[in-house]
Amino acid sequence: MEKLIIIKYGELTTKKENINLFINTLNKNIKEKLKEFSVKIEYDKGRMFIRVLDNAFANVIETLKEVFGIHEIIIGYEINTLDLEEIKKNIQFLVKEKKFTTFKIETKRSNKKIKKTSIEISSEIGAFLLKENQNIKVDIHNPEIKIHLELRNKESYIYFETIKGLGGYPVGTLGKGILMLSGGIDSPVAGFLSIKRGVKVEGIYFESPPHTSIEAKKKVEELARILSKYNGETKLHIINFTAIQEAIYKNIPHEYLITIMRRMMYRISSIIASRSNAKILVNGESIGQVASQTLTSMKAINEVVKLPVIRPVACFDKLEIIDFAKKIGTYGTSILPFEDCCTIFVPEHPVINPDSKVCENYETLIPYQELIYKAIKNHEIIKISEQEKNDYEDIL
Amino acid sequence: MIYLDYSATTPISFDVLDSYNKVSKEFIGNPNSLHSLGSKAKDLISNATKQISELLNVLEQEIIYTSGATESNNMALIGVAKAYKRYGNHIIVSKLEHPSIYKICEYLESVGFKISYVDCDQEGLIDFEDLKRKVKPETILVSICAVNSEMGIRQPLKMIRQIIKKENNNIIFHSDMTQGLGKIPLNVHDTDLASFSIHKVYGPKGIGLLYKSSKIKLEPIIYGSSKENDIRPGTPAVALIAAASKAIRLNIHDLDRKETFIRKLNEKIVKELAHFEGVKINQTKYSIPHILNMSLPHIKPETFLHAMEEYEIYLGTNTACSSGEISNSIMAVYKDKERAATSIRISLSYLTTIDEINRFLNCFELIYKRLSALTYE
Repeated sequence: MEKLIIIKYGELTTKKENINLFINTLNKNIKEKLKEFSVKIEYDKGRMFIRVLDNAFANVIETLKEVFGIHEIIIGYEINTLDLEEIKKNIQFLVKEKKFTTFKIETKRSNKKIKKTSIEISSEIGAFLLKENQNIKVDIHNPEIKIHLELRNKESYIYFETIKGLGGYPVGTLGKGILMLSGGIDSPVAGFLSIKRGVKVEGIYFESPPHTSIEAKKKVEELARILSKYNGETKLHIINFTAIQEAIYKNIPHEYLITIMRRMMYRISSIIASRSNAKILVNGESIGQVASQTLTSMKAINEVVKLPVIRPVACFDKLEIIDFAKKIGTYGTSILPFEDCCTIFVPEHPVINPDSKVCENYETLIPYQELIYKAIKNHEIIKISEQEKNDYEDIL
Repeated sequence: MIYLDYSATTPISFDVLDSYNKVSKEFIGNPNSLHSLGSKAKDLISNATKQISELLNVLEQEIIYTSGATESNNMALIGVAKAYKRYGNHIIVSKLEHPSIYKICEYLESVGFKISYVDCDQEGLIDFEDLKRKVKPETILVSICAVNSEMGIRQPLKMIRQIIKKENNNIIFHSDMTQGLGKIPLNVHDTDLASFSIHKVYGPKGIGLLYKSSKIKLEPIIYGSSKENDIRPGTPAVALIAAASKAIRLNIHDLDRKETFIRKLNEKIVKELAHFEGVKINQTKYSIPHILNMSLPHIKPETFLHAMEEYEIYLGTNTACSSGEISNSIMAVYKDKERAATSIRISLSYLTTIDEINRFLNCFELIYKRLSALTYE
């Protein structure tokens, strides 16, 4: 009998045609996530089996809790036989260690060559356990412990509790998206939610040195690092936005500063998306939260791009977003007090209902295409991975 | 050379020294500067602090860098006295403290605080009944070291904390853990404040730590302009901090194995010295083996120390900081003035070899016989 981890895929199994893509991607993601551990992974269309070689079960399970596409994590025991007598002995061995008064046995047999039905097997094992142990009884509605038995091709598996996984789809199975990462509370949550649905995100961050500081950039890198726990290695595109922002500030009536700035960001993000082969833009806009997030503003801003713009937190209240950010661990970093390019050059009275025609007219006042071209040409790409890159390893 | 004074200070580990050098050369910015050289240095400090906080199992903001344990002790005792004086003016310390604690107490007495000295029993353990008696409603602070520097007596801090807090829950508990770090497992959560010195764990001299629980407050004892750390302002000692973090990391593990080895050395010395008439081993069942104190009747400790030095063997008298005086700790435990006036201290390390101990024992015999003969003439 060998102890091992069994993964249930959940929602994936409903994807009939793409199932291989989904499971292969999940396998790849899990392998990457567990690269620090010595594990052996086997899988088929129904289950994934992870053998942990150095007895680091608890740590491996904690790590698996950060992988999208896993519905359930199970600690199970594998027996290399379908022989019922052997199975009974092993179940008795495992059950001996447990304290309970009521139980239920749930048998599944994916191997239909076995003559007995699942129900027959369950009742036979149940009878055996009742005979071997005193003071226990069967309760099929509300048992203290559930004994699961799965009979597969040549092996059977016994397990008791299951641990809930993150759910969602394996990252990457739905393609790529560009996440507009500002450093605030909302955009990391938006990123997390899109990653959950299988979108591999690349971040884009607009910096305006010297108006914004290196700390502000570091903060965004840290947010990307937290997201990379779920997203895997994460590319972060850093766009130097200073020239564009200064040009807007100097030439455009101030009530339109934010609207036009956002339109420029959208344009740049959309170009980066097509270069990265990303299908969507993702951002943390929430309806009505600020002047640039009224419906009219969203329309005026959204018009400059053709890609779908996904706004996972559009309908969340601020407090709901904050709770989410705390849960995924980005909140503490998001509230560090460094100015980003959205908080500098803020007009006193931004327009609440901007008109896209007006925007277009104002935009003729600056050579924005040329400025955008330059910004993209010189943009910096950082690859961020979960393991905090510790440059100080030799020093500390 | 045979170095047997590891409790006075330790030789810096070359790994730690490398870090010190590297940081001094490559991190030239002032961590308080806004430019990138400043943030680079600041980032290093925050990584170093994070590592220390994980090793000591505390929060990052609970670590204060000082110049050493003496400063940490000052900051703790005076800082608490100033911050909590409206709640009382009474402070309790043990009779087994490092001299710096007594000097601070003298100062505090001069500005109106009352100090009580709690007794210890024959084994050097804090006298719990005496401690209970001494705790008063106006007591604001108790300071008891984790490991005594002269005889290596280890105190049950957790129990002491329980006793104090039961008598008066508002009391702040400080412990000078200088002689414990790197030798025994320490739980700083037994205390509210704990002092450490890095040169006792194969790090550079000039840096120490004060653990300060986030639940208590301290008044600063020095003033400056730094916003980041107003309790201890000034430009952070970047290279020393990095070296401290590394020294702690390298020396906080594997304590059991090291102690077993050191205990063997200690037992060997004790066994051999039993042959010398008059030599009194000042060691109780609560002493850690790293520190071995003994009294040599009628021999002036300094004379003995210098005689050993002629053979390039280096040991200690009392603590390095108070050579020449009688030992408070030995007096407190054995109540014997002669014994307290003639003590020498051998302190051992995992770096000590059996061969060194053999050579020490040979020289000991030679010198002890020579000096004893002189004394009796």
